[in-house]
Amino acid sequence: MDTVTARGEQVRLELDDIQSGALHERPSPYVGTYLLLRIDDRGAGRELVRRLQHIVDNGRPSSDPAHDAWITAAFTYHGLKALGVPQSSLDSFAPEFRQGMAARAALLGDVGDSSPEHWEKPLGTSDVHVALAALSPDRERLQAVVEKARRAHAELAGVEVIWRQDCYQLESGRTSFGFKDGIGQPAVEGSGRPASNPKERPLKAGEIILGYRDETGELPPMPVPEVLGRNGTYVVFRKLHTRVAAYRQYLRAKSASREEEALLGAKMVGRWQSGAPLALSPDDDDPALGGDPQRNNAFLYGDDPRGLKCPLGAHARRANPRDALDGDGAVDVRLHRMIRRGTSYGPMLPEGTLEDDGVDRGIVFVFAGAHLKRQFEFVKTQWLNDGIFIGAPLETDPLVGPNDGSGSFTVPQRPIRRRLQDLPPFVVTRGGEYCFAPGLRAMRWLAELES
Amino acid sequence: MTTAATGASRPGVSVGPTSEFSLFFRVKPGQGGALRAALHDLQDTPGYRPGDYGMAVGTIHEARFVLFDDDTRLAFVTSFDGPWDAYMEDFFTSGPTLALFDVIFRHAEGYDGLPDLPALKAFIGGAQQTAAAYARNYPGTVKEIRKSQRVNTAFQQVLDHSDAAEALQHPALKPLLDEAAD
Repeated sequence: MDTVTARGEQVRLELDDIQSGALHERPSPYVGTYLLLRIDDRGAGRELVRRLQHIVDNGRPSSDPAHDAWITAAFTYHGLKALGVPQSSLDSFAPEFRQGMAARAALLGDVGDSSPEHWEKPLGTSDVHVALAALSPDRERLQAVVEKARRAHAELAGVEVIWRQDCYQLESGRTSFGFKDGIGQPAVEGSGRPASNPKERPLKAGEIILGYRDETGELPPMPVPEVLGRNGTYVVFRKLHTRVAAYRQYLRAKSASREEEALLGAKMVGRWQSGAPLALSPDDDDPALGGDPQRNNAFLYGDDPRGLKCPLGAHARRANPRDALDGDGAVDVRLHRMIRRGTSYGPMLPEGTLEDDGVDRGIVFVFAGAHLKRQFEFVKTQWLNDGIFIGAPLETDPLVGPNDGSGSFTVPQRPIRRRLQDLPPFVVTRGGEYCFAPGLRAMRWLAELES
Repeated sequence: MTTAATGASRPGVSVGPTSEFSLFFRVKPGQGGALRAALHDLQDTPGYRPGDYGMAVGTIHEARFVLFDDDTRLAFVTSFDGPWDAYMEDFFTSGPTLALFDVIFRHAEGYDGLPDLPALKAFIGGAQQTAAAYARNYPGTVKEIRKSQRVNTAFQQVLDHSDAAEALQHPALKPLLDEAAD
């Protein structure tokens, strides 16, 4: 069903041409596989794209996230180059995409342990050409779609799988830090998916999909030729290692009781572990609220300008300040929204364990949007890594910010605010890349390139 | 994390969290007088009236419009918290600033009026010049300065209380007592 906007105009998304990965709700539970491929032979690469075009998912995203498994295909700048996309076309992509994530590392705060020289190979190198993501409600259906993908590339000499990452939702249904995630996705006009926050209008389609008007009233900058850009979306993936033991040790050291640990954890995230937002349940966790999709995202921050319920620097409030900055006159929050598709990898650190077991665990963060710079990079650099916008330039996101052991986090409370000191890094970037997920016509165009 | 001082890759120089933002326009021929009148009117709008201290954009420290070269050129000079280029599109879609500036920019060469945002971005980008030198005499964002002022006002109220000297004797209040003598 097409959405009627506030101004009465109708947005008709060409859903049959759009890879629906960006618009699908993540199932819960979920299992997934990410594959990276290198194209050594141009003809084989084009044949791969021709085959992929038949197995990626398109059409109207089901309202039931558990309906099926699906595959999304995306290409890096070097991948498009390997396929023989003309230079004039390559030059028309967003500059950040052309540079690639590793070249943006210093700006993104990927320094120290997170810097590209420490990234998992081949992440951040020009070998990464094609990214495939398969997500499924269960292993059986995942294997079926991964097998389709395998058949698409396996017998092609000149196409190599160079990296694989399996993901699955932990039994707890939560992230490695212990929090329910995947809440708070923006609704997109024309996608047919209802908004999870009744207080927020659906985003203009052009904020997520190229070829449609965005929140500025303009068409997002789109690569040429039009057949290549239209109905595509930029995709960011980042493998983020979570230092769960360090996180638990920190909370334990700063708390006198388990209740206080839970409260401090909630203050850092902006939600309780159940997903219940501090804005609606500031004093105690409320699992019924956290588990209720009708209510767990239905809130604003306007009644809490000082952050007494949810700190201004809490992760979720930084990532989406909602109405908190409306009085600044300098920020249009709707220009900085995005589709997020985080999935967990690695086993849970056993409950109660405070010592690091040396096992790699964390999140594969996935972004989908039409604007790498003013969506992903803006949120990462201005809101998560910086504190200028909340009047605390020396503070960064307490959970995912590039803390170096000297940072602080302010928890407003009466009678006296609390200030947590000496925050270590809890998240380390293992690598990632900027990609472009083209529409189906664009994939055909790529497959039929001649040179 | 603050933006690096004198950040190399960004337009505009920054000191701590604050960056300078300077625009230079050519006034359309014969419109110097009309522009001067428009700026006179601007001075009468909320936020620009002397003593208002509340411009629509809450993250700029100050703003000035300067007509020069016999009213044939216009400069707009301000200091902004954060890297201003990251916020360029926000300026154009949020707040009343755009309508306020429309009546001024319409007298500048190259301005095509609202709502053509790409043209507007090009117009602003083409007018921006990065400072050759920039310094600040205090650190801190507008939000921090305002907080500091609120705290000092409260502190002065405490000092005006007849029991203030006694109350400030507590060891925990030593840093405040050190500031209480003048």
